[in-house]
Amino acid sequence: MMSTQLLISGVIFGLSLGGIFFLMTIGLSLCFGLMRIITLDQLLYYSIGGYITYTVSVVVGDIWLGVLGGVIVGGLAAFAVERLVFRRIYDRDLPFTMITSFGVLIGGVGVIKYFWGLVPRPVAEPIVAQVYIVGTEIPVYRLVIIGIAALVYVGIWLFLNRTIIGKAIRAGTEDVEHVEGLGINVYRLFTITFVIAGGLSGLAGGLHAPLIMVDPNMGLEVLAFVFMVVIIGGLGSIKGTLISSFLVGQVVSLGSLIYAPLAQMAPFAVMLLILLVRPRGLFGSQLLKR
Amino acid sequence: MNVLRWWWGLVLAFALVALVRVFLPLPFANEIIIFSIYTMGCNYLLGRVGYISFGQPAYLAIGGYATSFYLFYFGTNPYVGILIGIAGGFVAALAIGALFVRLRGDYFALVNLALAVIIFYVMQKMLAGITHGDNGLWFLTNMASTPVLDLSRPDQFFIFAFLVAFALWAFYKYLDDSIFGALCLATKLNDDKVKFLGYSSFNIRLSAFVIANTTTALAGAMYAVYLGFVSPEITSPARAADPVVVTILGGVGTLYGPLVGAIVYTGMKDVLSKVFGNWELVIGFVLVFIMLAGERGIWGSLEPLFQKLILRVTGKAADQSGGGR
Repeated sequence: MMSTQLLISGVIFGLSLGGIFFLMTIGLSLCFGLMRIITLDQLLYYSIGGYITYTVSVVVGDIWLGVLGGVIVGGLAAFAVERLVFRRIYDRDLPFTMITSFGVLIGGVGVIKYFWGLVPRPVAEPIVAQVYIVGTEIPVYRLVIIGIAALVYVGIWLFLNRTIIGKAIRAGTEDVEHVEGLGINVYRLFTITFVIAGGLSGLAGGLHAPLIMVDPNMGLEVLAFVFMVVIIGGLGSIKGTLISSFLVGQVVSLGSLIYAPLAQMAPFAVMLLILLVRPRGLFGSQLLKR
Repeated sequence: MNVLRWWWGLVLAFALVALVRVFLPLPFANEIIIFSIYTMGCNYLLGRVGYISFGQPAYLAIGGYATSFYLFYFGTNPYVGILIGIAGGFVAALAIGALFVRLRGDYFALVNLALAVIIFYVMQKMLAGITHGDNGLWFLTNMASTPVLDLSRPDQFFIFAFLVAFALWAFYKYLDDSIFGALCLATKLNDDKVKFLGYSSFNIRLSAFVIANTTTALAGAMYAVYLGFVSPEITSPARAADPVVVTILGGVGTLYGPLVGAIVYTGMKDVLSKVFGNWELVIGFVLVFIMLAGERGIWGSLEPLFQKLILRVTGKAADQSGGGR
């Protein structure tokens, strides 16, 4: 029997984890929806975000500035990679883009190892305060992460539904050729989407860094969870990504309370079950013709 | 004459592999043979069925651990161990494949990688009581020496691995020329038309999946016997891309791509890690470069040249299958 306090802290932990997962997977999902590519290199921008946060927090002493730097550098790295690599391969099929992005990922991990070395580095928590909710100690920082994830979701929703560029991106996920026919430069849309995705992954890395230690393989460590989130939610669906990232966050957190190894196993079991019923995930779209 | 030509490329290729054994150190030769068997499964899935699998380490680990459990807890005969590894891989591939091959290609790739990571955690944490976690299972001294080919000795192991690899390549060459091989290629190109012809594309994919991943499990079993040791490290997420990288390096879908890729990759790893210890960087950039340069890989680029050369030497229009393939 679980005590209420343990349960509450478990749920909050799961929510904050879900927030991080959401920030990471939204990039993958957006890129798949619009460009029909699988961008494993989002995990690289996540690591970059973590490392920039570490460096800035050591040099300047302010972690929030570090997170901001992580977002900017993550976005810039995404911009460079898009221009150098992905621009040339948009019309190729999915496995092709997946292999290429994996090449970018392990090449990037090599670059990180070159600059920062192999040793894991701790990042100080920006907010050490605790609040009491129903008699349970909750770190404020975790609540802040949940808040930021919620803000990003609202922001993305407003961007996609209220701005003309966002509407063009949504139209592009339905039919790119028609959007092109309207005189919109779709390649500019692709760049914008890619940079947003990279920036959000950088944000996820920056926010996650104080909770874990940054090390060169941090991207590969969350990779399985990111994949499970994307598969459960369905590729290309932002609503699905939101729901499934918080679902996976809760399953990881509450599962590990019951029996520690369940933290890794339980989300996988959930994913298999959902795939048995719905082979395209909860909200996955049909692969539309390009 | 025709039969002779069929074997020609195969014999030539393995004569070259035997040369590797003569001129380069034994561990390197063993590593190459096992690695190329490991890659063969991935190569077949990607090149013939169009499924990209980042989860090959999962099946490698299943084969490796099945063999290790037998040799550590129950028996001493490495041959039986390898057979158990193959059987374990076959059963696992059949069960997993029945679920996975229903998925679309993109989901398949993601699910497989997730599986590899999960197997890693299962071996490292969940079954730590049986697998000894990160310490791994050591059973080199458990293995009894066997008559004819003593697998506990690396030089005789090489002969065994060489024969196994030769048999496997002959088998895959046979598959390529069979109706089943043609159907695999057809499901990759146009799934609807295969159904229209009256074949079940699910069965074709499942069979291809089982064949490829049983091969991978065999490679895992051979790793276990060769090293006398197995740890969760063989399925770590950082190494998940190895077979895909080697497949791309060698040339997707070519018969000898895995051999060429394994030689180049293992060689590169050995040389580069001595020079500056950061070979992932190079591997990553080489991978991106090959993809951007037309994804044909080393053997894929060389093969047409060889065919041209052979045509010129023989001086007559030999058919395509007789040449380099």
